Amino acid sequence: MARTHDAQSTLRVLTTHAEAILDAHLNQGNRIPATDDNVGMLETLEHHRLIWRLAEDEDPQLKKVLAHFLDHITESDRRRQASEHVDQLWSELNQLFVEYRETKRLAAFEDRERVEGTIKEVLSEIIEDIRTATVTFSAYITSGFSYITDIELRIRKNEEVIDQARRLSNLFDSFKIRELEDQAGNDPFLKRLLLKHLPATLEEGRRNLSYALNQLRILLVRMREDQRLSKLIGGFESHYANNRGFEPSIDDLDLAYCPPVLNTVAPFRIVSYGDIYDPADDQDLIDIAQWARPLDAQVDEPGIDAKAVSSVEFDVDGETEQEEVDPVDDLVEQLLRHLLDGDVCDGEIRALEVLANSDLDLDAATWLHTLESEIDALAPNDYDLIEVGYQSEPDPLYPDNLYILDMILRRRGDSRL
Amino acid sequence: MQSNPLFEQTVTALLGGRIICEYSCSDLYNYLSLPNHQQQVADFLQQMNRTLRQTSSQDAWLCAYNELNAPEAKAAVRQQFRDATTHLEALVQFLRLHMMVEASQRPIAPGEEVREGHLLERISSAPSLEAKLRSLTTKQPFKTTRTDSAGQIRMVMTRLVEDGYLKQVGTSGSVYQATAKWSWLYDLMTFIKTHEGIRDDSDEEDSQMRLA
Repeated sequence: MARTHDAQSTLRVLTTHAEAILDAHLNQGNRIPATDDNVGMLETLEHHRLIWRLAEDEDPQLKKVLAHFLDHITESDRRRQASEHVDQLWSELNQLFVEYRETKRLAAFEDRERVEGTIKEVLSEIIEDIRTATVTFSAYITSGFSYITDIELRIRKNEEVIDQARRLSNLFDSFKIRELEDQAGNDPFLKRLLLKHLPATLEEGRRNLSYALNQLRILLVRMREDQRLSKLIGGFESHYANNRGFEPSIDDLDLAYCPPVLNTVAPFRIVSYGDIYDPADDQDLIDIAQWARPLDAQVDEPGIDAKAVSSVEFDVDGETEQEEVDPVDDLVEQLLRHLLDGDVCDGEIRALEVLANSDLDLDAATWLHTLESEIDALAPNDYDLIEVGYQSEPDPLYPDNLYILDMILRRRGDSRL
Repeated sequence: MQSNPLFEQTVTALLGGRIICEYSCSDLYNYLSLPNHQQQVADFLQQMNRTLRQTSSQDAWLCAYNELNAPEAKAAVRQQFRDATTHLEALVQFLRLHMMVEASQRPIAPGEEVREGHLLERISSAPSLEAKLRSLTTKQPFKTTRTDSAGQIRMVMTRLVEDGYLKQVGTSGSVYQATAKWSWLYDLMTFIKTHEGIRDDSDEEDSQMRLA
């Protein structure tokens, strides 16, 4: 009698605190926060052995048996929350199972075939729904939500998707193999559908979903870090703008404890020299020495162009070496200087005429190409003053291609004055 | 005893103050990925009052003092901090410019590719970005007398390569990869933010919203 009384009392406690217990199960991961408001309830639940806790400072947790019970009674609700459509299909399917058994009992073969077809259709729709739902998450991961430019909105979307994935995971958990076995009974047709096809899809869905959840969480962590760094850089930018000449300082720290990020070493250069005291290294050092200072040694060697080598002299203080002037560059420079600063007036200068009157032995193509490159390299102001015309003729076969025969240079109206 | 070139290179790089990451020196980073190699390097460094450290994001290795009791070590830490923060304003400006060019709210991350041509294309087409680049190249270490955007960008890239923030990749000479030295800089900035009481961007916005 006492046992019955205790059980009734426990059930009454469950009814009294149903809301808080359900909230703990559905939203708090079976934990009930140990707040001042909950003290009375927690004492009652503890008295009825419905909660447990490891340490005094930890939130109490619902006992496993109670969690299982709640799992059972909230299955339909969890399924509905996770996916209204799948839940609707599942209800429809349950109705069809009843009909199917009835048609079998009445030996209504035609109706049985019809119901079989409908069951297949609804079940394939459920399987398709489960697959589509998990594929959607892969698309989110691939895109990395990059189509949303604002990082705050991107983070929010990521959190929403994680929530969706969690709900879908709840849905998958709500399909219990034992429940499916009960539905299938001894019917081979139902057994094949419910114990083979649906569990396989569920398993695949679970696997994909757990991968997706993991990736989405990694993505979220990265986005939050990006957001933190973005704010950090923005903060520094504003600080520098508002505090001209700001220089961070750690002069106020005694460095008795040094934050790890500050602890960087002064560069310690490792320089090594050959060991001139070790006879074992003699030969190597001799080779290196010969390679390092070949000048004097090579000048006397027969077959080496001594003139070429001896023409290189080291500078002494105050002495400069004259760089040899390229005659082509020199001619181009004279020509351009004449064009820019000389007396050309409205006249024109033909590039090939200039080449012919010089004593340069250069082919026309190289000359024209060099001249064009030098003109292109002029400062914008000077470049604008020179007008370049091309004397050309089209290729007989491909008339769009032109052969350049000469360049005609003119000076534009002198805008510099 | 046989010499170990990878050990030698790793220790030389760490003592020289280099930050070793997957992108700056992959062979040394791979060498350090094995715990027994880490131990060998750490044991060697310990004899020189130094130790092996990682950035908070665990993507780079660097050398730190084991004990900071010696005045020389403290002085070196202070000097390193001064050296690192002398050019901080310019680096912050570069990071902001890069974020604007990429129209992204995330700063450069280790391993990210930076293309000089892409930067030039975006900056040349937006006068506001050109102005930012001009302002950036008036500050050390990016200071240059070049007046064209291409020359200014080249200067910025060259200095970032010299300072170990970027590494040239490929043969074109205009494609770079960010190294994990940025992670170290972000760690340093996080410390300075707390130490100097610098407020985040959003904090300022919030206070302005409250004032409004």
